[in-house]
Amino acid sequence: MSSNSTGLRALASRRVTALLLTALAVYASSVAQALAHDVTPGDAGYIQEIWGVHVISFIYLGAKHMVTGYDHILFLLGVVFFLYRMKDVAIYVSIFAIGHSVTMLAGVWWGWGINAYIIDAIIGLSVVYKALDNLGAYQKWFGVQPNTKAATLIFGLFHGTGLASKIIEYDISDEGLLWNLLAFNVGVEVGQILALFVILIVMGYWRRSSAFMSQAVVANVIMVGLGLWLTVIQINGYLAAA
Amino acid sequence: MTIFEKMREAAQLNADKPDPALLPTPRQLRRSTIAAVIGAAFIGVGVYLPAEYGIDPTGVGNVLGLTEMGEIKQQLAREAAEDELLHGGGDQSSSLVDDIFGLFVGAAHAQEVWTDTVTFTLAPDAATEVKLVMAEGDVAEYAWVAEGGRINFDLHAHGDGQSVDYDRGRGATDGAGSIEAPFPGEHGWFWRNRDDSDVTVTLQLRGAYSEVVRSE
Repeated sequence: MSSNSTGLRALASRRVTALLLTALAVYASSVAQALAHDVTPGDAGYIQEIWGVHVISFIYLGAKHMVTGYDHILFLLGVVFFLYRMKDVAIYVSIFAIGHSVTMLAGVWWGWGINAYIIDAIIGLSVVYKALDNLGAYQKWFGVQPNTKAATLIFGLFHGTGLASKIIEYDISDEGLLWNLLAFNVGVEVGQILALFVILIVMGYWRRSSAFMSQAVVANVIMVGLGLWLTVIQINGYLAAA
Repeated sequence: MTIFEKMREAAQLNADKPDPALLPTPRQLRRSTIAAVIGAAFIGVGVYLPAEYGIDPTGVGNVLGLTEMGEIKQQLAREAAEDELLHGGGDQSSSLVDDIFGLFVGAAHAQEVWTDTVTFTLAPDAATEVKLVMAEGDVAEYAWVAEGGRINFDLHAHGDGQSVDYDRGRGATDGAGSIEAPFPGEHGWFWRNRDDSDVTVTLQLRGAYSEVVRSE
């Protein structure tokens, strides 16, 4: 009797994992066209035909960029994975937002375009870093816990540099640039909140399951793998372009 | 012991098991899920469809100005597809040719006589092409002004299996320079009015070319 119910639960937990992986795969394939380094031609094409202030259009484009930016979403997932209190979620997400806003705005304004492959490789590593942090790797390997808020801020700065590199590729008209840029930034935060909303719902269901803590290990190991995969893709892209 | 539990033991996660008191209740989660689905439907119909496809069943996209974005994207996508059919696809633009050509684009020399004048008026979102048929090494000079609004242009060339993009501009009101053809073919402008009013462009030309071709 008891062994039977354990078997059922194991089956159920495997199904949850399979479902999550399927969802992730579907998501990844839906944004696969963004894998190539350019922003989708449609968005760039539109931007290159217009000039002047277009606040709502740029809010939309910022939000779209965030929601379809699987590397940003993965990092965000890693950051909130073990944040059970809404207050902590708000603090960490704000730190991340401040970090990426600073370098995004400054980067575009002063034209600090870093090679997009290199910055995206670093962003891939930020996912690896956070997933390893969640797995307790630093305490185990080095006996220390690096400051998690500082790490979120520093990686936020890198994510913002990545955003800036892509906006520079958009080639926004100088006319209305400041307002459009600020609107894009607002859009990025709107997109982040929308993504966070979905992440927190999924995590809410997941955390209530008794298998959460053991599946969390697998999930973070998978995140290490995905982060490494992103990094390798970007390094290959860099080498191929060089 | 399942494999998960073994990994769990080995990994020493950087967190404690969630305190059930902190977690959202199933009721809250159900509500949030319903809110998310409704929100996604609204965003999909009111924002995404207009901004990507120019399809705006609710009129919200039009109010937000996003339908125009979708229409431009659809138009660009159609043009890219047509271009692919026409020129066999593949970006053959040579950056080397581009660089060499760049040396020859400069301010037009102040001379008195223009041999051809082309004038056309474009309604908002209308487009046209003006091309010069040139042999390799031919040089043509040009100067143009736009009145009534501002114009977008793409100065490019194709022919002899090659193509090159010389210069692009948006919201411009005048331009001047010269074209030295790096290969035989049609060299000239694609013009599009993205302004809100009719724009009239007056283009003056002189130099070595056999024909001025206009196409809608």
